[in-house]
Amino acid sequence: MVNIYIALISLVLILSLLLVLIRVKEILKQSKRLDEKLKEERDRANAIVSSMGEGLLVLDTNYKIVLINPAAEKLLETTANEAVRQKWAEFVQAYIGKKQILFEKRSSVKVLKSGKVIITTVIDDHYYKTRSGRKFPVVSITAPLLRNGAVTGVVKLFHDVTREKEIDRMKTEFISLASHQLRTPLSALKWFTELLMEKNYGSLTDEQKEFVKNIADSTERMISLVNSLLNISRIESGRIIIDPKPTDLNELVNKVLKELEEKIKNKKINIIFSIHQQLPLINTDPKLIRHVYMNLIDNAIKYSPTGGEISIIVSKKDDQIISQISDNGYGIPKNQHYKIFQKFFRGVNVIKHETEGSGLGLYLVKAIIDSSEGKIWFKSEEKKGTTFWFSLPIVGSKPKAGEVSLDAEIK
Amino acid sequence: MKNEILKIMVVEDELLLLRAIGKKLELENIEGILCQSGEQALNQLKNLDRPPDAIWLDYYLKDMDGITFMMKLQSQNKKHDIPVIVISNSASQEKIKGMIALGAKKYLLKAEHRLDEIVKIIKEFIMN
Repeated sequence: MVNIYIALISLVLILSLLLVLIRVKEILKQSKRLDEKLKEERDRANAIVSSMGEGLLVLDTNYKIVLINPAAEKLLETTANEAVRQKWAEFVQAYIGKKQILFEKRSSVKVLKSGKVIITTVIDDHYYKTRSGRKFPVVSITAPLLRNGAVTGVVKLFHDVTREKEIDRMKTEFISLASHQLRTPLSALKWFTELLMEKNYGSLTDEQKEFVKNIADSTERMISLVNSLLNISRIESGRIIIDPKPTDLNELVNKVLKELEEKIKNKKINIIFSIHQQLPLINTDPKLIRHVYMNLIDNAIKYSPTGGEISIIVSKKDDQIISQISDNGYGIPKNQHYKIFQKFFRGVNVIKHETEGSGLGLYLVKAIIDSSEGKIWFKSEEKKGTTFWFSLPIVGSKPKAGEVSLDAEIK
Repeated sequence: MKNEILKIMVVEDELLLLRAIGKKLELENIEGILCQSGEQALNQLKNLDRPPDAIWLDYYLKDMDGITFMMKLQSQNKKHDIPVIVISNSASQEKIKGMIALGAKKYLLKAEHRLDEIVKIIKEFIMN
């Protein structure tokens, strides 16, 4: 009996040992596979990093360069040997235009502190200056390197945008030149149609009067299109001046309404305007904000049927001034909501009612609000109407130096 | 001055525009001295018995820009008090500031105004 037991136990032991051996072999095999997989992935990552066109940098929490890829070596005129372990902010200086960016304002420093991604675009006008003194325009993405939720470093991707800048400059220059050139023949059209309507040169038949008026209207449309194009090229190139002044919004909106008086009367629109009584003067660029009200109210008139109602409410909420412009007009189809601030967008439903319009108005309005540190949003339902809201900080907008202002008014 | 008709010098190198302006001034019973270049205008100014009541100036002329015109005008007639109104196709802040600093009374954007609006604005400057 005992022998049988011993034999049995031995058998179990041997079997267990065999099983353990098989498992160990499997684990070894697996770990080898894992090793190979890791190696494969590492090789793949290395291949990507070293062949990509963008410069790539990895910094540690002391802003020291831990990794630099060949594209970055080339752009920054350095070698990995030279760059690794150097402090990034000292190694390469960064500029906004001609002004050097201070250490605390560097993207990598801000990202390390906030853990948030920073993306710069051509408009931000950032430059890097290498140690040899070469300065080049740059766009970059700076992202935190996270491990278990903690920021352990920074990854920076960047590229040289000299060519993009050049093309952008040429585009702006072209639009500006073409638009200015267009103004001469447009002035001739405007002034001669004005003369045609003078009684001194003989009176026109009713039909001729109508034709001349059509020419005059089309000329005005073309002039405003040229203005919009110019304004867009100004805003896009970042050359626009923001010149905040203490502004009385009540007075400003009333002036806009006065300018639109004829259109309002022609369409028998009922205007309701209400403004917070104790609204302080707000420090904003009156030319730019006038453009916003003008565009939104003009749109509301344009896209409302005759006899419609438009309400304009300017109120105060916390540290913001909220302006609301509502109409009970044609509305914007839901499936087009996402693109209403895009350049050249026009609602499919409104083109039928109103052929006039360039699709540039709301794009410009959004650009102005963005540059004034405000927000714009809307609600719209087809056949029921549209409401736009935009906010402006009570503290006002920051001034910005530039070369040009909007053409709306020259004083 | 009250009994005399108004006299406005127009400096504009686009012939068509110059013609439209000339016609408008005629309708308004204003004497127009029409010049197609800066040089021509400056020369005319030297030879006139009575200086014009105002100058209607385009910024970009074929032979000079508005800034040069203003400087030349000042150097040839140091005490002149003829109001200059600039009517131009392009109006950067820099140009406007430069022209106002040199004594221009107003800077208007060409395509934005009807002829009668411009004439009205110029008349206001003459009256003041």
